[in-house]
Amino acid sequence: MTDPYAPVASRRFLHRLNPLAVVAAVAPAVIVLVAVRDLATPLVLFALATTLLLAGAHVPARYAALAFGLPLAFTVVAAVSFGLWADPDAVPGTPTLFEAGSYRFTVGSWLAGLAISLRLGALLAVVLVPGFATTGPDLVRAAVQNLRVPYRIGYTAFAAFRFVPRFGYELAVIRAAHRVRGVAGGRGPLGGVRRWAGYIVPLLAGAIRHAERVALAMDARAFGAYPTRTERYLVPFRAGDAAFVGVCWAVTAVVVAFAQPVLGLPSPTPVV
Amino acid sequence: MTAPLLRADDVAVRYDGAAVAAPGGATLTVGRGEVVLLLGPSGCGKSTLALATNGLVPQSVPATVSGRLTVTGTIDPAATPTPRVAARVGMVFQDPDVGLVAGTVLDEVCFGPENQRLPRDEVLARGQDALRRTGLWDRRHENPDALSGGGRQRLAIACALALGAPLLVLDEPTANLDPVGTEEVYATLRELVADGDHGVLLVEHDLDACAGLVDRVVVLDRGGRTVMTGTAREVLAERAGELLDLGVWLPVATLAAWHLREAGVPLGGLPLTPAELTVALDSALDDVPRLPAPAGTTPPRPAGSPSAASPAGDAVVEVSRLTVTRPTSARTRGQRRVTVLDDVSLTVRRGDFVAVVGTNGAGKTTLLRAVAGVTPPPRGTVKVAGLDPARADVRELARRIGFVFQNPEHQFVRYTVAEELAHALEVQRTPAGRIAERVEEMLARFGLTEHRDRHPFLLSGGQKRRLSVGTALVAGAEVLALDEPTFGQDRERAAELLDILAALNAAGTTVLVVTHDLQLVADHASHVVVLRDGRLVAHDRTERVLAGDALIEAGLRLPPLAEATRGLTRHPEWRAVTRVADLTAVRA
Repeated sequence: MTDPYAPVASRRFLHRLNPLAVVAAVAPAVIVLVAVRDLATPLVLFALATTLLLAGAHVPARYAALAFGLPLAFTVVAAVSFGLWADPDAVPGTPTLFEAGSYRFTVGSWLAGLAISLRLGALLAVVLVPGFATTGPDLVRAAVQNLRVPYRIGYTAFAAFRFVPRFGYELAVIRAAHRVRGVAGGRGPLGGVRRWAGYIVPLLAGAIRHAERVALAMDARAFGAYPTRTERYLVPFRAGDAAFVGVCWAVTAVVVAFAQPVLGLPSPTPVV
Repeated sequence: MTAPLLRADDVAVRYDGAAVAAPGGATLTVGRGEVVLLLGPSGCGKSTLALATNGLVPQSVPATVSGRLTVTGTIDPAATPTPRVAARVGMVFQDPDVGLVAGTVLDEVCFGPENQRLPRDEVLARGQDALRRTGLWDRRHENPDALSGGGRQRLAIACALALGAPLLVLDEPTANLDPVGTEEVYATLRELVADGDHGVLLVEHDLDACAGLVDRVVVLDRGGRTVMTGTAREVLAERAGELLDLGVWLPVATLAAWHLREAGVPLGGLPLTPAELTVALDSALDDVPRLPAPAGTTPPRPAGSPSAASPAGDAVVEVSRLTVTRPTSARTRGQRRVTVLDDVSLTVRRGDFVAVVGTNGAGKTTLLRAVAGVTPPPRGTVKVAGLDPARADVRELARRIGFVFQNPEHQFVRYTVAEELAHALEVQRTPAGRIAERVEEMLARFGLTEHRDRHPFLLSGGQKRRLSVGTALVAGAEVLALDEPTFGQDRERAAELLDILAALNAAGTTVLVVTHDLQLVADHASHVVVLRDGRLVAHDRTERVLAGDALIEAGLRLPPLAEATRGLTRHPEWRAVTRVADLTAVRA
């Protein structure tokens, strides 16, 4: 379990930005990636996002493989699996890679698969930027201070961060208890569903009780005494944050406008 | 003379939907510089009264409050929003984790003053002062999770202090702590009231831990009406008999002396602490020179149990060179895995009642889980009734060892009490007729017959616990393993469970229990396993462990009666007396 509160020692520029700025900066890219159908736009955004993360954020060594390897590995592997379903003539006239009976897997099939997997891989690479550059608690603070989200809502999220490891532990105990009781539920997906259904009642019962106690404890600590509260950690939205957002939006617009015409990659007909 | 911090005049609280009020008429005051202990039988409304002091009852938990309750002279907590009352009343709950919101100890303690809209400098000054008073200032940059149980409860006290509250209300603050953590918390409270600015209202069942700290005691009867008020000595020592009749527990030293006095040993005033008992007993025994020390300092073995005939053989649990490691959490640097159990070997014989003790994190639960196959141990390290839990399937294992989890709800898998009991037999593919017979038998034995069609989650706490023991045994397990079965429970429920375990043990069931309650160990266990940092420090008969230093070495304390008798100088033959039950048999 990682500690969402662990201080980030790095002075890299993404960590010094307002978390809201980082989220806002990548938001248009996310929308673009959902919408586009070509190969060039996601490819360029993928490269830019990875570069930004590499240059601007401190990625702990043990997460490096996840941060940089996972989007790429997903793109490559999923291209083949998506390609299996694609029209072999998605890009007309491409060579056949292998055949089985009447089935043909062509370079075109692969490109059609790549068109989907590259978008998803790029999406992953883009959201990993705020994922590594911001922490949950800072995002909550920024939302309260800059977006005027009521602090009662924002800080409830803080308590929720504390719930996660507790539930993880509780679930592990319940699973062990049910296993000892001989609750097999049968094999296959249906058995799995039955098993998990059995975990829900004790988990919810524990969760509700815990939530009630937390609510009492929060009131007892003067939470909600006044409409505002003192903030010791200020997360200002500076000119630099605005500039960063502006630059990122501009770059995204340029990519959308020019990536495909400049690179001129083939445009496979979509799989679905 | 300033107004008391808390004044309650005939306060009654009836929860919406409840038939009777509990408390039914509590009257008490708490002044500056004093610690007031609120006692009463289970269900008399002690915790409810605690929640009423800052207005959580009736503001967050709907209820009708009658009588007059005032805080710091003028504030009516029912009519002032709880978050505002927080500046007057600081609340500390049983589970120190419920209040945690922040990522460092300092941020945590500053959370309250921030909510009070104090200027930043003032917030920090409050936080610093509170952390210094609780001895946590040097750890201010750490994550609260990194603190021990006692440390997190001290942090909860610091958080209450930082709100600026002169009155602290603590509801069972040490129920989740080991003996060392309990001592830490009470040492902190002692220093705090010594300055004379703060007052404390305490609800606590572990009287041995707090008896030395308490200035006054207020006792509620079954209906939650105040029946006694006085200094700790006036109430606990002078009216011990009445308290026992009410179903209120006494400090072990007081209880032991009460039994001896009933037996005719000339004890004048009853002692409150083990040290006082030592002094009183040494001189009182001079006056009855022919009184023999009670014999039978361990629980009698069941007459027909096989081990009585063949003490050397008949091992039912064998652990050999068991080592368990687990991955470290991501936030600690350095080693990849930590050792939880380190080369533990021990043998438990049929019919033993074994208590596994140690501080938090010593590996007690891990050992118990490995033995019961809840977390399968490495192959070849554990044998239970001839079976290796690492290889055996669930069904076979359940016929030999039953495991009772700390929270009984975790192990309930069916929708009625009767089905819950039948489940284990269905898993064994027992014929239907036999199942019905066994279920009836177990329902009757655990007093659950009238609840047979209820959902297990709707039972009371004590009933849930009895059902979980029943389900663990219904398949015929000869070994019963229980993980802290009395954790967070009041004494009445704990006593009820221990009576059941003693009866099962007398009938031949081998019992393994992980516990923090050392007087329970002294009173019931035939053998003790002491763990420290995953290593086996001692495994021997209870009287030998209590006579040695293993408990102290493991960072624990002697149970109160053993501590008192060990100090005897003039009557060494009484030093082996460690069980309260032995004293009930004394006749002077």
